[in-house]
Amino acid sequence: MRRLDGSFVLLVTLIVVLLATGGLLSGGTYLSLFNLQSMANQVPEIGLLAIGVMLAMSAGNGGIDLSGIAMANLAGVASGLVALQVFPVDDAPVAFTILFVLGCALVGLIGGTVNGLIISRLGITPILCTLGTQMLFTGITVVLSSGRAVRIGAPGPLYELGNGYFLGIPWSFLLFIFAATVLGIVLRFTPYGVKLMMTGANQKAAEFSGFARARIITVTYALSGLLAGLSGAIIAARNVNVKWDYGTTYLLIAILIAVMAGVKPDGGYGRVVNVVLSAIALQLISSLLNFIGLSNFVRDLAWGAMLLFFLFVNRFALVEHFADILSSGRPPRASKP
Amino acid sequence: MKQGLKTTSLFAAAILSAVGMVSSAALADDAKSITTVVKISGIPWFDRMETGVTKFAEANPDMAISQVGPSTADSAQQLQIINDLVAKGTDALAVVPMDPAIIEGILKRAMDRGTIVVTHEADNQKNTMVDVEAFDNAYYGASMNKRLVECMGGTGKWTTFVGSLGSRTHMQWVGAGEENAAQSPDMELVDPNNESFDDANLVYEKTKELLRKHPDLKGFQSSAGNDVLGIGRAVEEAGLAGKVCVVGTGLPNPSAAYLDTGAITAIGFWDPQKAGMAMNSVAKTLLEGGEIVDGMDLGVEGYEKVTVKPGPGDGLLVFGNGMVLADKDTYKDYLF
Repeated sequence: MRRLDGSFVLLVTLIVVLLATGGLLSGGTYLSLFNLQSMANQVPEIGLLAIGVMLAMSAGNGGIDLSGIAMANLAGVASGLVALQVFPVDDAPVAFTILFVLGCALVGLIGGTVNGLIISRLGITPILCTLGTQMLFTGITVVLSSGRAVRIGAPGPLYELGNGYFLGIPWSFLLFIFAATVLGIVLRFTPYGVKLMMTGANQKAAEFSGFARARIITVTYALSGLLAGLSGAIIAARNVNVKWDYGTTYLLIAILIAVMAGVKPDGGYGRVVNVVLSAIALQLISSLLNFIGLSNFVRDLAWGAMLLFFLFVNRFALVEHFADILSSGRPPRASKP
Repeated sequence: MKQGLKTTSLFAAAILSAVGMVSSAALADDAKSITTVVKISGIPWFDRMETGVTKFAEANPDMAISQVGPSTADSAQQLQIINDLVAKGTDALAVVPMDPAIIEGILKRAMDRGTIVVTHEADNQKNTMVDVEAFDNAYYGASMNKRLVECMGGTGKWTTFVGSLGSRTHMQWVGAGEENAAQSPDMELVDPNNESFDDANLVYEKTKELLRKHPDLKGFQSSAGNDVLGIGRAVEEAGLAGKVCVVGTGLPNPSAAYLDTGAITAIGFWDPQKAGMAMNSVAKTLLEGGEIVDGMDLGVEGYEKVTVKPGPGDGLLVFGNGMVLADKDTYKDYLF
């Protein structure tokens, strides 16, 4: 029998409770289609970054990706500037959008690969490497844009990606779920995914087992970069403009989401579905607090409390513990003579 | 089964009660609501603005009026707040944008949804109905210079500081100042447009240099908020307090000591309290279906006869007369 996933149960419960609480307190407005869409629209950009952080953490050896949002902004600005040169936004909206989104993905992939190569080949600690590249990416973005916002414009398909709906669900949210599903399958069922988690769990054992450790690490950070690039495309699509200092707080929120999702900070374990749920839960909390009109400092407090609570519950595997008690029908200690 | 349910329900109860405790009945209210969204909450400038919003709320008890803002200076956080407020169905938003470009998209969607949008400190915001500015930049620069010329007795060497040469408003202020000084033939501008980067220490060093180079320098006009502090310190240390005239943008609390000794002659600023009230007043007028017209009275001190111009988008630009020039005798009315 598969072991019960405590984080998963907890997150689902939390989401249900939050939705119910919000609906109750707002007299239904919180659960209105417009607000659900508005919240779903806000999740993808941070959610993609959080999955990137999760990948880096899973790789172990103190893995983390601090360069996420900097990379997203760089992708939006660089790709935007190039695409604006190649295609006139108004005359060729479809070509522009395709080039822009692919450009964002490419910039992210390249940036992520740079991270991966530095970490795996030069043996630099991930936190230092990505801190460095974070500043590098931000710097390049400032130089490229002269520190000003770059107007990408709102050509039809791109605007649709950021603000449009398919069957009532925002396109950006669908893209997020799609990316998450693909990654979830890759992590679970491909040799790469299995090897990544094993490398994260025990570097030495992985090395002696003949895993191509350097390649696994490089691919992992490249994927994280790719996700950041996609996040950059979504940010541009939503806001029409991109700028180097957008989302400076996302750095820590992305880590918060990953840890809340039960990703092991020392590597070897993490589930994409939990990261998705965790991102949704955080969005629900912050929107709820905005609905009530509470100070944003309360939100920081709520997030902090939540993080500690989740760490506590996961550390002692409380949910699993209770589940064991349930299935055996009596406290485990009672069976002792 | 029992225990597991217990944890879940305990958890649910904890959250419900926590949220319930702090939420008032404000949520399901039918009253028209105006929410002011500031760049960042918890700093003196926007705390002062909140006093204005509170005052306006007291004067309009039939409306739900409040101020919110992100806890960190990040345009993405402000964007989220605006997103949620629009989804919540707030009737009017009064926004002081962290970055006008970033929130263009959501403001457009807000207006498409029928939300009233008013902005402040964003004369380049395209998607707004009315942008309220405290004053016309040229008027502000000229007024500060008038005070300087008066203090200098219309004669002597003077110089100017700007935050950076790329700062559009600062260059407008000193430009208008130079124009005003040109009316007094004995005013001699030397080494103008020193860049301060809003760094009081840098300004302090530069002022000392300038005073060495021009021992007969008699006047300073500065632009960025911390400039007067650097100039004031250098002037005071040189024993020139009261002999050299210093007029520039500054805030009352930090400048108080130098104003008292005379190292700073006068500081110019606009009162965020009044600006907050003016934004809310415009929002209220628009909510009631009224129009904003040239010369109208917003019912707020400094905004009794506003100038209305077309804005960069479809909206309007409204200029008040909200500049304050405070000196030794008057700064105590504006402690923030």
